Amino acid sequence: MNAQLLLTSVQKCYGNKIGLELKKLALWPGRLYILTGPNGSGKSTLLNILALLTKPERGELMYAGERITWKSRELSLLRKKVTLMHQSPYLFAGTVSDNVAFGLKARGVSGEELRRSVAESLAMVGLDSFEERNVTQLSGGEARRVALARALAAKPELLLLDEPLAHVDKESAEVIEKLIASLPARGTTVVMSTHDQHQNDRLGGEMIQLHGGRLEQPFGLVDNLDTSECKVNGAPLCPALKMHIA
Amino acid sequence: MDFIRESFQTSLTLILALDRDVVSAVWTSVSVAVWSIILASLIGIPLGLTIAIGNFPLKRWVITSLNTLMAMPTVVIGLVVYGIISRQGPLGGFGLLFTPSAMIVGQTVLAIPIVANYTLSSIKGADQRILPTALTLGASPLQSVFQLIREVRFGIMAAVIAGFGRVISEVGVAMMLGGNIQGYTRTMTTAIALETSKGEFAFGLALGGILMTVALMVNLILNFMQQR
Repeated sequence: MNAQLLLTSVQKCYGNKIGLELKKLALWPGRLYILTGPNGSGKSTLLNILALLTKPERGELMYAGERITWKSRELSLLRKKVTLMHQSPYLFAGTVSDNVAFGLKARGVSGEELRRSVAESLAMVGLDSFEERNVTQLSGGEARRVALARALAAKPELLLLDEPLAHVDKESAEVIEKLIASLPARGTTVVMSTHDQHQNDRLGGEMIQLHGGRLEQPFGLVDNLDTSECKVNGAPLCPALKMHIA
Repeated sequence: MDFIRESFQTSLTLILALDRDVVSAVWTSVSVAVWSIILASLIGIPLGLTIAIGNFPLKRWVITSLNTLMAMPTVVIGLVVYGIISRQGPLGGFGLLFTPSAMIVGQTVLAIPIVANYTLSSIKGADQRILPTALTLGASPLQSVFQLIREVRFGIMAAVIAGFGRVISEVGVAMMLGGNIQGYTRTMTTAIALETSKGEFAFGLALGGILMTVALMVNLILNFMQQR
């Protein structure tokens, strides 16, 4: 089976500073990955690269075994499969329904199917009755849930979440966490960045730890080690961290 | 003071009587300005957008040039366009000089930097997350740009309003390229200049009042569109 997304020798710099440097990173379908690391460790950079919004200066990305060439038409097609929810999601001016329908309309969905998908997505985040509400009337937690519904509406194969629970009220956090945990079972691969080390205990995902733009290698692991036998704090190490010798 | 009061009375009479010269000047001014702002918007909005979101060499130089062009005196634009469309100019064969079309060309050139610059500023000031959000939700680059335009529509509308204000109130281009021909290329502003120089203060004042009223009405319409 091909990795859903495979990064090889990827490097992204900001001026003279290396923002991200990865030898190999593979994301497998239907998994939940928890991306952790201190501020400035490259989490957002990695998510932007995975979302195909930022092109690395060096390296290669493969989606389902196909090399990504970064051509405009190809990117437009791939971005219909990969969706990123930013740390502070931007909601377009208008109603909640307008926002949730955005990605669907971009995919040519219309009419009854559009209405049904919008309603289903809002129900998933517990905002059933919010369709006609203006986005300016939403609380921070509600806005985050609308952004999640919008991202889910288009049924992406790979969903990237940049700190989706930061500054969210308890009620919204519970709804979002429960929903995220259920996504891999529905076939959606999820990569979620967080500062909360305990989140993985609740969600049961696989850890990707970044430090200084590089993957951390706890317990002195080396690049070519078969990570299936490795344990981190008693839990199996993320297959995403499978590092192969190039 | 009597002089000003009498002028106001005369101007009111001219307006209420729908004086033929006044109506003609108003019609020429509004039609030329509307056509100019439509053309300037069709060129200036995409231009401002391209400069704002594009990365290309000499971008700063282009922005500086655009800022400079905003301050270009109308007579200079009139002079340059005159040189191009006059009989000896490269486009002399079209016979545009001293026609409303020539005025539209000149006023379009005048308004493009204003519309482009305001558009550029509104996009620069817009939330930087708009484009990436649209892209990551699966929109094509073109769909994403349309969404960006939708999000900054108030700023773009302000660009169009500013451009319209500039063209409807200018004298230099209309005078040099239109020739101030009565009933044909005479606009409100060129008529005001001419009539005042002849001592017809009341007529000039009437046109001044109408000019302000037209500007107010157009702005009210555009503001109404902004609110929607």
